[in-house]
Amino acid sequence: MKNPLAWYIAGPLIGLIVPLLLILREKQFGISSSYRYIGSKIFKSIPYFKYNSEPDKWQLHFAYGLILAGFLTPFWGDFETITSEEANTIYGKISKTIYTPTNILYFFIGGILIGFGTRYANGCTSGHCIMGVSQFSKSSIVATVSFFIGGMIVSYGIIPFIF
Amino acid sequence: MKFIITLILGFAFGCLLIATQAFSWFRIQQMFHFESFHMYGVLFTAIGTAALSLIIIKKFKLKSIHGNPIEVQPKKLNWKGNIIGGLLFGIGWGLTGACSAPLYILMGMHVKIGIALFLGSIIGAYLFGIFDKRTIK
Repeated sequence: MKNPLAWYIAGPLIGLIVPLLLILREKQFGISSSYRYIGSKIFKSIPYFKYNSEPDKWQLHFAYGLILAGFLTPFWGDFETITSEEANTIYGKISKTIYTPTNILYFFIGGILIGFGTRYANGCTSGHCIMGVSQFSKSSIVATVSFFIGGMIVSYGIIPFIF
Repeated sequence: MKFIITLILGFAFGCLLIATQAFSWFRIQQMFHFESFHMYGVLFTAIGTAALSLIIIKKFKLKSIHGNPIEVQPKKLNWKGNIIGGLLFGIGWGLTGACSAPLYILMGMHVKIGIALFLGSIIGAYLFGIFDKRTIK
């Protein structure tokens, strides 16, 4: 299979998850509420986590599917290939060693920002960019623009200087 | 049964994100630098397909498999949360190349990195819980 899969095939298939979840599970597409659900089992004394978490439980099951997909991938092939031209860019060079365990602290800090940010913004790329924007929701459009501004600030302004 | 359906949908979503390399640190940097249309193509066509599906569901008043009408609620606008939270999440996304779904994919694929990300995200949510108690309600 060509690597990566063409956007015009994969994009529409990803979009179809939205109606499938609504029809089969009566749920709105999203994944970052899983952090709140998990938090509700651990941080029981904090008001934010004292909520009716049952309706969010499915997101944990959805996450199991994602983990499984990630786990099985190496058995199917290498899905991290980039062209030699891409590998010669500054990001291509950094990406070769980005997932090495020496970067654990870096990813941990990034994770904190992801957890805090998605909870404050009330959604992530799934819930806001795809589910929210497809409803033309103002909240999701504002959030999506903010996601990209935040990402660009880091990608242009920070990453070239820390690696 | 519900569990199996959710698991399969999550698995399918994961496979698609892997096949498009949306989980890849490199692809996300490339996207933020507008060096390739690929990730934008994925996002735009996903949003377009989802929007069209929602219009069809509304127009034909489609019901769920349990026979209930399908209602879709937009998220409430919260300028401060959407912007500041959005920027912070965007910074995390830019640093790690992972948003919430790829975070779980990485837990299966690059276990140590994925677990570091996951533990970080739970601590981030915890910090938000403390922050939320003090400032919002």
